[in-house]
Amino acid sequence: MKHYRAHLLVCAGTGCVSCGSFKVKEALEKEVKKRNLQDEVQVVATGCNGFCERGPIVMVQPDGIFYQLLKVEDVPHLVEEHLLKGRPVKKLMYVPPAEKQPVPKMKDIEFFKHQRLIVLRNRGRIDPEKVEEYIAFDGYEAMAKALTEMTPTAIIDEILFSGLRGRGGAGFPTGKKWAVCAKEKGTPKYLICNGDEGDPGAFMDRSVLEADPHSVLEGMVIGAKAIGAAKGFVYIRHEYPLALKRVEIAIGQARDNGLLGENILGTGFNFDLEIVQGAGAFVSGEESALIASIEGRIAMPRQRPPYPAQKGLWGKPTVINNVETWATVPNIIRRGADWFQGLGTETSKGTKIFSLVGKINNTGLVEVPMGISLREIVYGIGGGIPDKRDFKAIQIGGPSGGCLPAKMLDLPVDYESLTAAGAMMGSGGMIVMDDKTCMVDIAKYFLNFLQDESCGKCVSCREGTQRMYEIVKGITEGKGKESDIALLEELALITKDASMCALGQTAGNPVLTTLRYFRHEYEAHILDKRCPAGVCKSLIRYVVLAEKCTGCQSCKKACPNDCIKGTLKDVHLIDQTKCIKCGACKEACKFEAIEEQREEAIQII
Amino acid sequence: MAGKKKLRIQDLAKIREKTKSLMTIRESEGRARVTVHMGTCGIAAGARDIMDTLLGEISKAKVQDIIVTTSGCAGLCNAEPMATVELKNQPPVKYGYLTPEKMQKIFVQHILGGQMVTDLVLAVGSETMY
Amino acid sequence: MITFRMNGLEVKTEEGSTLLDTAKFYGLEIPTLCYNEGLTPFGGCRLCVVEIGEGLRSKLVSSCTYPAEEGLVVRTDSKRVWASRRMMIELMLAMAPGSKVLQDMASQFGVTQVRFTPRNEECVLCGLCTRICAEQMDARAIGFQQRGHKRKISTPFDMRSEECRTCGACMYICPACQLRCQGPNAETALCNGCLTMDPSCLDHYDDLQCWMFDAGRCGTCVRDKT
Repeated sequence: MKHYRAHLLVCAGTGCVSCGSFKVKEALEKEVKKRNLQDEVQVVATGCNGFCERGPIVMVQPDGIFYQLLKVEDVPHLVEEHLLKGRPVKKLMYVPPAEKQPVPKMKDIEFFKHQRLIVLRNRGRIDPEKVEEYIAFDGYEAMAKALTEMTPTAIIDEILFSGLRGRGGAGFPTGKKWAVCAKEKGTPKYLICNGDEGDPGAFMDRSVLEADPHSVLEGMVIGAKAIGAAKGFVYIRHEYPLALKRVEIAIGQARDNGLLGENILGTGFNFDLEIVQGAGAFVSGEESALIASIEGRIAMPRQRPPYPAQKGLWGKPTVINNVETWATVPNIIRRGADWFQGLGTETSKGTKIFSLVGKINNTGLVEVPMGISLREIVYGIGGGIPDKRDFKAIQIGGPSGGCLPAKMLDLPVDYESLTAAGAMMGSGGMIVMDDKTCMVDIAKYFLNFLQDESCGKCVSCREGTQRMYEIVKGITEGKGKESDIALLEELALITKDASMCALGQTAGNPVLTTLRYFRHEYEAHILDKRCPAGVCKSLIRYVVLAEKCTGCQSCKKACPNDCIKGTLKDVHLIDQTKCIKCGACKEACKFEAIEEQREEAIQII
Repeated sequence: MAGKKKLRIQDLAKIREKTKSLMTIRESEGRARVTVHMGTCGIAAGARDIMDTLLGEISKAKVQDIIVTTSGCAGLCNAEPMATVELKNQPPVKYGYLTPEKMQKIFVQHILGGQMVTDLVLAVGSETMY
Repeated sequence: MITFRMNGLEVKTEEGSTLLDTAKFYGLEIPTLCYNEGLTPFGGCRLCVVEIGEGLRSKLVSSCTYPAEEGLVVRTDSKRVWASRRMMIELMLAMAPGSKVLQDMASQFGVTQVRFTPRNEECVLCGLCTRICAEQMDARAIGFQQRGHKRKISTPFDMRSEECRTCGACMYICPACQLRCQGPNAETALCNGCLTMDPSCLDHYDDLQCWMFDAGRCGTCVRDKT
């Protein structure tokens, strides 16, 4: 481990970056290397210090000296005077004012400090309906570079070398997809942006389309140059009216300003975009089903090969990528493949946006480097579980993904480790669950979703999801049989094996992961007829607490099934054999004398 | 400002410089820039009322030099409605869990009076880009 | 010509053929339900699945829709294939136990249990009727409606169709329409009256051992059921 005698902490908050702190950082690195100080002095990019009005800011540690309003021209003098000769440069220094009020700085807040914004870099700071604000923060600079300085092969190579993988869920190397399509001879070629985002709880793509639509448009123009397309489609689900509106405005403004359409930026390159609305199906997010939908046919996947990159829209070579993938492209072209390689793990480069929802204190959208641990996301960024409850599971990847238990919290988030654990990166939805969540009920929820959303072509998927749902529903209602678990496993595995598209091929995951990590819950439901989390109504008993019951008879009157026995002023009793678990008695009782009892509280009489 | 004229590459750099200076109110005449976050989360939580309150207060106080703008989702969806107040030469301050009453207080105390409303502040500064 | 391997044999076929076309040419039997020579392949029943690729990268694909590829390795009767086929038959039987075609297949492939509650419908949603109506009869009077568990086949808006010429092609081609024989187990979901085969070789090997010749019909490997 190298021992540095000094650290140059360059602020990389959005405020300083907009003033050029990255250029200052590059200049510092170059100067440090030029003076042969690279083994003694480390240049580090940090989070925002909170003194954004004085940026670019560099802090020298361990001296604790703040330099402010730095320009690239100041760097050689600064390095020579302060680092070589040991004389801090007074005229560049900043003396922070005495802190009168202790206010939390963004860099200190867990939710913000772990995040590294690439795709979401413009969040909260630009008006998405004003193209000039997008341009203000280096917008369309990458497109200009790609159209004037780069060949299609150079663009594809840059994306390939960056290691960018599709952010829609499959994680296929984007550069490879583009290379395959570019090689195809068929014309015309098409680009599609997949904004169908159907996973329950996922809203990453919606957020990008609403907050920074131009980033997607810019990415698509770059992609069009790379593969040789003149027309593209942005497919946005109908349920996202604000996203539709913002993208429509963005496309209009881009066209008006010559950033889209004919003769873009006067370079002679033509590319135009059309918006197509989805209409209520989850399966239309699957690439071949989406293409069918644009063609006006029913959204049903087809066998691949041939892949869309070879034969896609109307049988022509088509590159279809997710919103987040397209929005990452301009950043890679602007800053280079090497830059992108600097974040992430060996196989999963860059950052990923996750929607953090469920039983978590800080719900929202987080963009984190690949390789961050789940623990950091849940307890660091997320702020832990509300009401001080225990963490039980985190569902990653939507209905195609899986639930991971507490023992997997130190898992690094990247494509391979999540798949190995039985979950899936998916589009990035993360649903946190506490100990009051029943995992069998969760499996039931996702299976119900899948049986509704299956296109219905394959027997394995259509019947498989229906029958798995039937069995799991039965288990939650106390009708489970011992043979059910083995049957569920067999059915889940065969549904995965025999189905044609990714919906069916991952439809077994809700069952398989909950069985893998929470088998005891299934067994409790089936063998003991109890729900440990206290969620499945059929497995709960309503019991009168003798010490609180006043014998007022309110519950007896409220009961629709005549299951409560008791005379006035005497402790009442609920006949469990007749009780239908409607809960009316509990609602009627004014003395809190009726309790929903879970396993821990039931006394053996 | 970019209008119906078709841009050329050199125009991009010009727009960048001009707009950035307006947005960061370093050299312009504005005294403050207030961003009300209006992503779907913000709107669902009531950001439109916050915006109406702000605009109402501005016209009541008859001040001309406050830039009011909107943006998309700021990321911490459960803290919505949120607003970011940036006074000239001061770091941006994010306020969360807003109500029209709180927005009113912030307008008077922070935007006009120059003093942060500490107990309503979510965070000071901006996020780390990579 | 495309050259690849099927069950260890080197096979050659023309560009544009599917794996099923090739298997049929070489006399290898692959069961089908929703496939018909005169109609475009659908790939819905999943009975014709075969295993392609090797090791960790192997997967099941429907042979009626998968195009032949140079150098592909295909196994038509592996253990994994049989497990899937049997489950598909079981699932379809649970939909429509009244179908002779399905009952015969159950006996042929050794499906001896239906572990799901029978729904006693008359349709397995194979799509043969919609395809013959559109492609051969040029009427397009019926089609798929809805998706998932609500999927069904009907005329637009379930109204009487003016396009339908009552030609009967849909009834002719429907595999579920042919009613099963009223054998010894008439009331149950599973008849098994013609059950002849339950090969024991899959207990020990990863492939059916007699895949080239009449797949088990000689009866040598039939387990004693008594």
